[in-house]
Amino acid sequence: IPEAGHKYYLQFSTEDYRTGENAGNCLATVLYPKKKSPPVVSIKCSLSKDQKEIQEEDDRLYQRIRHQTKPITGNNIPDSYGNIAPALEPLWALAVAGSSSIMWEKSTETLGYFLAQVKSVKQWMRKDDFIEFDYTVLLHEIPTQEIISCHMRLTWLPGHPLQVKHFCASESQEVQEGSGAESGSAAGPSAEKGANF
Amino acid sequence: HQVLRVVPESDEELQKVQELQGLEHLQLDFWLAPRGLGFPVDIRVPFRSLQPVKAHLGASGVSYSIMIEDVQALVDEEQMEMLRSSRQLPLTTDSFNYEAYHTLDEIYNFMDMLVAENPNLVSKLEIGRSTENRPLYVLKFSTGGTKRPAVWLDTGIHSREWVTQASGVWFAKKIVDDHANNEGVASILETMDIFLEIVTNPDGFAFTQSTNRLWRKTRSRHAGSICVGVDPNRNWDAAFGEAGASANPCSETYHGPYANSEPEVKSIVDFVKSHGNIKAFVSIHSYSQLLLYPYGYTQTPAPDAEELHAISTKAVAALSSLYGTNYQYGSIITTIYRTSGGSIDWTYNQGIKYSFTFELRDTGRYGFLLPANQILPTAQETWLALKVIMEHARDNMD
Repeated sequence: IPEAGHKYYLQFSTEDYRTGENAGNCLATVLYPKKKSPPVVSIKCSLSKDQKEIQEEDDRLYQRIRHQTKPITGNNIPDSYGNIAPALEPLWALAVAGSSSIMWEKSTETLGYFLAQVKSVKQWMRKDDFIEFDYTVLLHEIPTQEIISCHMRLTWLPGHPLQVKHFCASESQEVQEGSGAESGSAAGPSAEKGANF
Repeated sequence: HQVLRVVPESDEELQKVQELQGLEHLQLDFWLAPRGLGFPVDIRVPFRSLQPVKAHLGASGVSYSIMIEDVQALVDEEQMEMLRSSRQLPLTTDSFNYEAYHTLDEIYNFMDMLVAENPNLVSKLEIGRSTENRPLYVLKFSTGGTKRPAVWLDTGIHSREWVTQASGVWFAKKIVDDHANNEGVASILETMDIFLEIVTNPDGFAFTQSTNRLWRKTRSRHAGSICVGVDPNRNWDAAFGEAGASANPCSETYHGPYANSEPEVKSIVDFVKSHGNIKAFVSIHSYSQLLLYPYGYTQTPAPDAEELHAISTKAVAALSSLYGTNYQYGSIITTIYRTSGGSIDWTYNQGIKYSFTFELRDTGRYGFLLPANQILPTAQETWLALKVIMEHARDNMD
């Protein structure tokens, strides 16, 4: 759009990360303004999964993690050979959700990301009902091909948006705060975060 | 020892089985303990307890089946298998495990075995040495002739893309099998040779195994930087150093101090030039599920873009036909992003019309860390696409 920037029109479908089932369709526009600033996004999704089912899955995931008596830790998920131990799958799933928040903030019109690996994860035991994890995740950056190491702190309670704080090695020394409220609510309309594993 | 299976169908039967649990002197080992009616109970029974156990069950009419006749035999067999398949070298290319990732030594050993088993078809060429002095091996598949028109395939130029080296190993075996069964590429081998470099970047590959699984580049050191490595797919003499590569030695897309500075690249350049009769050149990468043709360094379409696009359509259709895997295709610059100093841009400009790059599975879920159980399907589907390209090259030689 002359003088304004580049506008993209997107139509896409989503799928459940765990099962691969179709989870709904979305229509979005993304406007990258001429002068550098975050893009303007408008998005509308019709999600096919039932809210109650999402809540139940969230609760199950939450209970599984709460049931552990010792703080959960893990390294190299997946490992070099692509394996993920079944016990570590929930941690990977949470990392996928949390790192998507990092990617949301870091991506630009010309820079994109994938989660390459969870280098380490450690659970922080809390006195309240929230579960909390400290992650080091490796992001694969396109087209530079760089591997970016990010420190990520996730906090979650079913029914609440996934809280993500991150700090990536390539950035300046500030902690990036992302509350994930706009897209992380398990009870909200765009329920990909924290659910649908 | 035998392993017996009982499926109690009544409370009486269940009780009889549970009684066995209390008879400690029998030294029974319940692999599956009694759970309830209809659930199997598996019991490992030492030899001397077999008779009493069978009698106890038989007396009450409880039927059982022998799941394992001889536990020791199975254990012995497994021991042998483990000795053979784990870190010990397999004895033949038939016992090689194509569904697992292998070390550099295992792959080099595989090559030697393949040559030894098929001396009239396969030979191993050393086209150079890497920065760390590892041999750069290319397998030549030929049924004769002198410098026949040839197809070049390379895998593993970026070391972290493990599914590519693993697929390369499978391709090698597939070529040999097709030839032996007079099917598939056997017809291509009648008039063409196939060259396959499985570990195009052995230093990088060794580094992914010993130190950093996500290492991409070579392991060269160049003056003036503490950073190591050059991106071997930005080091070719095609728009070298222009936009689409980095001049920063610490970058993953560092093009190097000058074109062909990397022995891994120079050795292929020298080989291709001296051979002079290569008709198709395919570089294999992962991930993204793409089939790409030149150019990466310019928006100007390659003169043969239409033909290459048509071949790609056919190749991708063949690939998808096996497992439904979705691929996109087009020129590098329009499909992914601008790159300079790339291999197929150079080979295309050398006159090798059928120059293609693949990006294999997946699309980012596992990325470089593709689970080993996807090696076989990936190699199989990719092979179908490669055959389309090879056949087209064979049928369109001038």
